[in-house]
Amino acid sequence: MFKPGKICILVIVLLLFGPGSLSSQTTSSPYSIFGLGYLEGNSIGPFKAMGGTGIARLSNRSINLMNPASYSGIDSLMSIFEVGVFGKYTIFSTSRDNQSLLNANLKYILMGFRIAPWLTTSFGFSPYSSIGYNINMDSPVEGTNLKFLKTFSGQGGVNQVYLGSSIKLLKNLSVGINAAYLFGNITRTESSTAFTYYLEDATYISNFNLNYGLHYQFNMKQWKYSLGLIYGNSKNLKTKNVTTIKTENETEILKNRKYKYSIPQNIGAGIALSKGYFSAGVDYEWSKWKDVEFTNSYLQTRNSNRYSFGVEFPSPGQNKGTGKMIFYRFGGEYRESYLVIDNTPIDYRAVTIGAGLPLKGILSVINISVELGQNGTTKNGLFKESFITLHLDMSLRDLWFMKQRYN
Amino acid sequence: MGTGEGKKGRLICSFTRIYLIIPIVFVAGIMFIVSCTKMNEFNIGKDFVESQTRLQVIDTYRVDLSTILLDSLTSSSTETVFIGNYKDEVFGSVKCESYFDLAYEAFSEIEEKAIYDSSAFILIYTGYSYGDTTSLMEFGIHMLTENIVPFENGYLYNNSSFDYVPEAFGTVRFYPEPSSKKDTSVSIPANALGEELFTLIRDKDEKVSSAEWFKDYIKGFILTPGNVENKAVIGFDAAQGQISLRIYYHFNKEEPEKHEILIKMGEARHQFNHVSYDLTSTSLQSIKMEGNEISSDKTDFKGYMQGMIGLLPKIQFPSLQNILQENRWKILKAELVVEPVKYSYDIFKLPEKLYIYDTDKENRINSLLVDNESNSLVALFELDDIFGEETRYTYDITDFINDELSDAYFDYGHGLLLGLEQEKFRSSLDRLLVEGKDPPVKLLLYYLTY
Repeated sequence: MFKPGKICILVIVLLLFGPGSLSSQTTSSPYSIFGLGYLEGNSIGPFKAMGGTGIARLSNRSINLMNPASYSGIDSLMSIFEVGVFGKYTIFSTSRDNQSLLNANLKYILMGFRIAPWLTTSFGFSPYSSIGYNINMDSPVEGTNLKFLKTFSGQGGVNQVYLGSSIKLLKNLSVGINAAYLFGNITRTESSTAFTYYLEDATYISNFNLNYGLHYQFNMKQWKYSLGLIYGNSKNLKTKNVTTIKTENETEILKNRKYKYSIPQNIGAGIALSKGYFSAGVDYEWSKWKDVEFTNSYLQTRNSNRYSFGVEFPSPGQNKGTGKMIFYRFGGEYRESYLVIDNTPIDYRAVTIGAGLPLKGILSVINISVELGQNGTTKNGLFKESFITLHLDMSLRDLWFMKQRYN
Repeated sequence: MGTGEGKKGRLICSFTRIYLIIPIVFVAGIMFIVSCTKMNEFNIGKDFVESQTRLQVIDTYRVDLSTILLDSLTSSSTETVFIGNYKDEVFGSVKCESYFDLAYEAFSEIEEKAIYDSSAFILIYTGYSYGDTTSLMEFGIHMLTENIVPFENGYLYNNSSFDYVPEAFGTVRFYPEPSSKKDTSVSIPANALGEELFTLIRDKDEKVSSAEWFKDYIKGFILTPGNVENKAVIGFDAAQGQISLRIYYHFNKEEPEKHEILIKMGEARHQFNHVSYDLTSTSLQSIKMEGNEISSDKTDFKGYMQGMIGLLPKIQFPSLQNILQENRWKILKAELVVEPVKYSYDIFKLPEKLYIYDTDKENRINSLLVDNESNSLVALFELDDIFGEETRYTYDITDFINDELSDAYFDYGHGLLLGLEQEKFRSSLDRLLVEGKDPPVKLLLYYLTY
């Protein structure tokens, strides 16, 4: 059973970050014009605080969405309910100008619990990619000297609801699979308030997708070594694009077509080592985006790479090992994204620092992390995003299934 | 729960609360401290958006201009007496005459020894004037020889008339002060009539004993400038009871005692203005022969609008049908731009509020065009006092154009009339001379292609 206090905190957090409270967009980046938008990645909570490093980590206090094999780490008595929100402040700079935006939203809701000693499961909702931008520009009224303000905006993204499970094959070896249903829409609009019209180009996307994971660990000289591997096949997405134009009195469908969108083959590996409550790890991930084509004349795709490292250590002193123990985390991340715009590659780099704070005894944890980073470049007429993001993750663990059974 | 456990619980509670407050304060802090670019000003990324639309302005669709003349306009119940005449080089000369009658009330008794003094009709300015009001003005009042009877629909028209005695029984010459303070009035002496009435009332004659008898005795009046050449038309208040005939008398007791008999104007629907005009020396001279419609080709490329007379410029779109042959377009805005002829409004001011009516082949005034909020569509009026170059009326007729095109056929007969608001059109001489050639009336189409 959840205590009223916990629910209260959850409500506060959801109100603070909930959709619509600031901006209902998950992302706010003009780079999300391109392709499937901004790729959200699967690192959550404590793993995010470690630069997004977690392929070789087991789900323990939190569900590790990066590797489905990790679910086997969920304690047999526990069920985990995890919710993540974020707030991001970004300064966008070109070679001439700076502009800034603030956005915040709910990011994911996950659950995980053990069904049998050898079988653990998790399900939930998280974004795969997101689109959010609002760009204004002066457009000419041809045949006059007049200009009018046109607004280009994009919203939506690809979401995933997944059901995953992990099977413990051997004491130190688990395998896992995530079956996700990808769905969503990428909606780009062009509109003006000076002259009432609204052109909407909406691409509806859906398909099922499978991801696989493997986790192996062994001990050597008081250190525990873990190895994680993940794999996802490339998958064509079912798309339906509808372009409509709306004026004051009429709506007309202009185009009804399909795009050849897909998500790429994805391979990742991670190594982690730990001793007591200390652990550290590195990750590498590769995605074959070069095979995926999008209909944008500025965009080329390349294969993406992600490198990261992260460290986690407990608060020293008397709280160590007790319910009041705080975990501190830090890490770094470097991503060569799939975007090459006007022959300029878009790279992402960030450092993270965070802490896991126990809440109401040993069962629940709040994971806070701050991510400082940059994305893109001001070269070649492009723009750089410098951002600070606060990630807030609440991992509510309880024996609620057990308790409910006996209540 | 034991007390020890409770204390521990509270400790942990306060301990975690501190950490909870940190992120909340942090986020709240960011929200308040940082300044964000406004959503409608953000423009980074504009070099990479791919627009799917183009907006252009097309002004090459021809606009036909003509002038129509309404047979007649209702002119009763305007609550205004329009009186006077003037010459207008462009619109011809105009003469306004006004009819009214008197209301009967049972008269109170007058002592036999009462002595008649004087009497007059009192007219109060409304403030309306048209033309040159600095000159001396003159008009007279005549007795009608027939009663004022409205048509079955209850109205009288600007061309209605009733017979009257050719000689005026009272005349007045004055310098008009239409814009002076409220209640300033003009009185027309009516001594002969007043004395006769006074005697009849004092003697309780049957002519003044009932409404029927009275109506037969005094049929009504006409105010007319006759053949006098004035330079303006003036408005007097003809709201219920505002026009009155006052008969002054006194009788001698120890001190002379002054009295008056006040006879008010009759029914408002019996009060109407007769408007006569002479177009013979103007470009419009043949308009009646042409069936009350004349193309601007025959009127020196001008269109005429004047209230009370019933002149309205008519606009038609002969080539708009061609737009239907194009593909993938939307008209986001359609503007009709009308310019007055330069220097045509030095003496006679331009109307500030110009409306637009829907019309058909028969030149019926069907309905006022309305905007999105169902308010009457009024032209945006720009007045360039100095050079006259930028003086224009602009109508947003988007809905009219889109409605007309929506059935894939543009009816040329479906035209537009430019005019004053309906009530104003029958109670104001405001005029507008529309330029039809240099520049012509323009239809600007804001045309979106995709």
